[in-house]
Amino acid sequence: MSALLSVKNMSINFDTPRGSLEAVRGVDIEIPAGTSVGVVGESGSGKTVMCRAAMGLLQGSNVKRSGTVIFDGHELTAMSKEEVRNLFGSGMAMIFQDPMTALNPVRRIGSQLSEGLRVRLGMSKADALARSKELLELVRIPNAAAVLKSFPYQLSGGMRQRVMIAIAIACNPKLLFADEPTTALDVTVQAQILQLLRELREDLKMSMVLVTHDLGVVAGNTDYVAVMYAGEVVEYAPTKKLFADMRMPYTEALLESIPKVDHKSGTRLAMIAGRLPDPTDRGAGCSFAPRCKYAQEKCRQEHPELKKDPDGHLYRCWFPIGEAK
Amino acid sequence: MSRISFWLQRVAQLLIVLLLVTFGVSLLLRLIPVDLATILLPVGTEEERDILRNELGFDKGPIGYYLQWLGNFVQGDFGKIYFSGGTEEVSDHLKVAMPRSLLLMVYTQILSLAIAIPLGVLSAYRAGRRADKIISNTLFTLSSIPNFAIALLLVIFVGVKFAWLPTLGYAPISDGVWEHFKHMIMPVISLSLGLIATYTRLLRADMIAALREDYVTMAASKGLSDSRILWRHVFRPSSMTLLTSAALSMGGLIGGAIVIESIFATYGIGFEVFAAIAGRQYVALQSTVAVIALFYVFFNLVVDVSSGFVDPRTRDRRVNA
Amino acid sequence: MRNYTKPTWFAIGWLGLMMFFSLFGWLLPFKPWNFVFEDDLEVGLFSSGHLLGTDSNGYDLLSSAVAGTRMSVFIAIAAVGLGGFIGSVLGILAAYLRGKIDTVMVTIFNVGLSVPNLVLALALVSVLATNVDINQAVPTWRRVMVLIISLTIVLIPILGRIARGATLSWSGREFVTAARSMGMKDSKIILRHIVPNVLPALIAVAFLAVGVVIIAEASLSILGVGIPDGASWGGMIARGRNDLEYAPHVLYVPIVFLALTVISTNHLGDVVRSKLDSREAKV
Repeated sequence: MSALLSVKNMSINFDTPRGSLEAVRGVDIEIPAGTSVGVVGESGSGKTVMCRAAMGLLQGSNVKRSGTVIFDGHELTAMSKEEVRNLFGSGMAMIFQDPMTALNPVRRIGSQLSEGLRVRLGMSKADALARSKELLELVRIPNAAAVLKSFPYQLSGGMRQRVMIAIAIACNPKLLFADEPTTALDVTVQAQILQLLRELREDLKMSMVLVTHDLGVVAGNTDYVAVMYAGEVVEYAPTKKLFADMRMPYTEALLESIPKVDHKSGTRLAMIAGRLPDPTDRGAGCSFAPRCKYAQEKCRQEHPELKKDPDGHLYRCWFPIGEAK
Repeated sequence: MSRISFWLQRVAQLLIVLLLVTFGVSLLLRLIPVDLATILLPVGTEEERDILRNELGFDKGPIGYYLQWLGNFVQGDFGKIYFSGGTEEVSDHLKVAMPRSLLLMVYTQILSLAIAIPLGVLSAYRAGRRADKIISNTLFTLSSIPNFAIALLLVIFVGVKFAWLPTLGYAPISDGVWEHFKHMIMPVISLSLGLIATYTRLLRADMIAALREDYVTMAASKGLSDSRILWRHVFRPSSMTLLTSAALSMGGLIGGAIVIESIFATYGIGFEVFAAIAGRQYVALQSTVAVIALFYVFFNLVVDVSSGFVDPRTRDRRVNA
Repeated sequence: MRNYTKPTWFAIGWLGLMMFFSLFGWLLPFKPWNFVFEDDLEVGLFSSGHLLGTDSNGYDLLSSAVAGTRMSVFIAIAAVGLGGFIGSVLGILAAYLRGKIDTVMVTIFNVGLSVPNLVLALALVSVLATNVDINQAVPTWRRVMVLIISLTIVLIPILGRIARGATLSWSGREFVTAARSMGMKDSKIILRHIVPNVLPALIAVAFLAVGVVIIAEASLSILGVGIPDGASWGGMIARGRNDLEYAPHVLYVPIVFLALTVISTNHLGDVVRSKLDSREAKV
């Protein structure tokens, strides 16, 4: 299967007053065409930075990016900013965590939605507005004509997220980055948005990278899952396989931290003890070792490389779950 | 309904401020340890002064005097300027002076914004790089030089050494557009430098903050060009502070205009204030200061109204607040 | 603290020199500023015996500038000190006590702010400096007092509003609520918790205010209502305007002194404020 997007050995460093901050370290990820890949990790694990860097959206003189990104046969990392820009909209698009901050507060929905159509597809103003209305209907917004004339602050959170999805899919992208698309929303609205994304993906034959901190969101919405920790991919497998046979202790800990319906009220959630390591000072051993309940001396001394099971399941652990303990 | 009551409240606030300002000035005049009628009519007879006292309300208490002045002012009677040879209407003076000062200020604002907006956008876009540092440092230095110093240096070099521009006087537009501008260039530049620095700095700070917003990344992910993002998405939400500052700087401009108008002999409203003080024309002073305060308050109101157009959120937020 | 940039060192050095001139300028071996060098009229810059030249009266410009420094610095420090103190007390009390006092204070501040600085200063000076006998000149010391009082009154609403704003943002924080709930007296809360936090912001503004006052004093002198024939930078500029065509250096000297001083105070105000911002960012 050919990869629509492949990220090879990507590292991102931010220069900060406290020193260089390693947000992403040597990440390899492939997004096969027509699939949906989940990227899971706690906040601060580098998943959002990785996605923005893949699209080349990280701005600023303090950002250092290395590695290669190949999208649909184009090597983005070797192209000029303008050339990459030409792939946005119709090639790649992104939706963001908080639609309140990601929509421009002082411009009407209609102008923000039709803007991409006019700039990228060269539509006339009238055509673009007509298409915008269709797009709003496509994301199931009632009363689309009125919404076109509204400002973001006049809509509900769920509506705003639908608008943002409409903007992202406006030019029929091949690949959609969804960065925590449901985190800022109510639980009931979350389910609707995920449902909408699933349907749109099928109708428009889009691939998707779904970034989330919630393994539960990944379960029903992705074909593959990459688990990130401290800027690295620590486990990668087809979604079903991952849930059936996880190898990485961190993934297990992440799964245990999800509240379950059958929990008796009052039972304590298993939180992952400790916190992410200091991103300006990565230690020598496994990054997760200080928080891992299986950690041994070797884990604290040596950094584990990514290992591959014969079935393609990748993990970064000296003593993976399921092996002789 | 609530929007109407918001505006009524705002206008009422401003009216109260106006009343207090004019009352304050009026009270201040009564503090002068000299008989005002004697100052205004130094050579007149005591009977003539009595008539004047009665006419202007000097014989009443401070409040009575203020109310009489206010009544006249509201009806457009701004009082008189007293000479040894007779009197002139303050309103006639203001009719000549107001348009000059307003033009001076409008030109100053236009020039300042026209220079500050591109500079602010550029330095925000290149924040921390060389262009930004050069712009910031140059403007900071220029803005610390008082406007009268710039005016005098312009007079020395542009006016005297090279004799490119007239150093004194004013020409109405009816004398020809070029003639008009020739007299305006130096006063406008003198008043503009400080404003350019202030505006550039404000816009830069606001735009840098806005550039960090998600909606900018979102706009970039739509495949828009940098310049389109900068102007369409970042500039507009950032221009609010700029607009407020522009309107509020009108007051400072009137102050600056006093000195500049006296250096260039423009005879605008700033000069009228100065002339009223120098000539001890206290009635004229009171009315002129009242007119200035009126304009200042008016510009405040303009900010309130226009902010709703620039940032639609404020329209509803204010009403709800 | 020591990693100041070159401009900051320059600003500190220049203001240090100005302080030296104003405190110890009289110790320098100069003739009085208004001593007339009858043989040296309108001598240019860097002439022998007159480092900065003389004006058309025969006044030596260096000794004028040094004497002017004393006047300008004295007026600026006095007005900013008085205006800053009164303004902060009013602003802090208004913001801390809220209620009617706050409303009244805010209204007074707004009234003061709705008259342009220079118009207000001009009006105050002209009223306060009026003699009972209008034909008799007002003595210089009284003019100086009038200037200081007028500029103080101009500064009170400006600094008061800033003090009020800063106090509002601090008095809502937890440690103030905590101190209140432990029954600490208001006066103690203000002195221990509010003032130390509001002070840095006020110091930053005070630097800017010094510049404002120096410029205002010079403007008033140019308009002829400052210190007549006085030894202030503004007075030198006012006199120098007559020599503008033939001896512009008479203007350059006070303008350079004035501009460098204002640039320095503005720059230091900026440094203090950015230190403050980074401190805030760390909180």
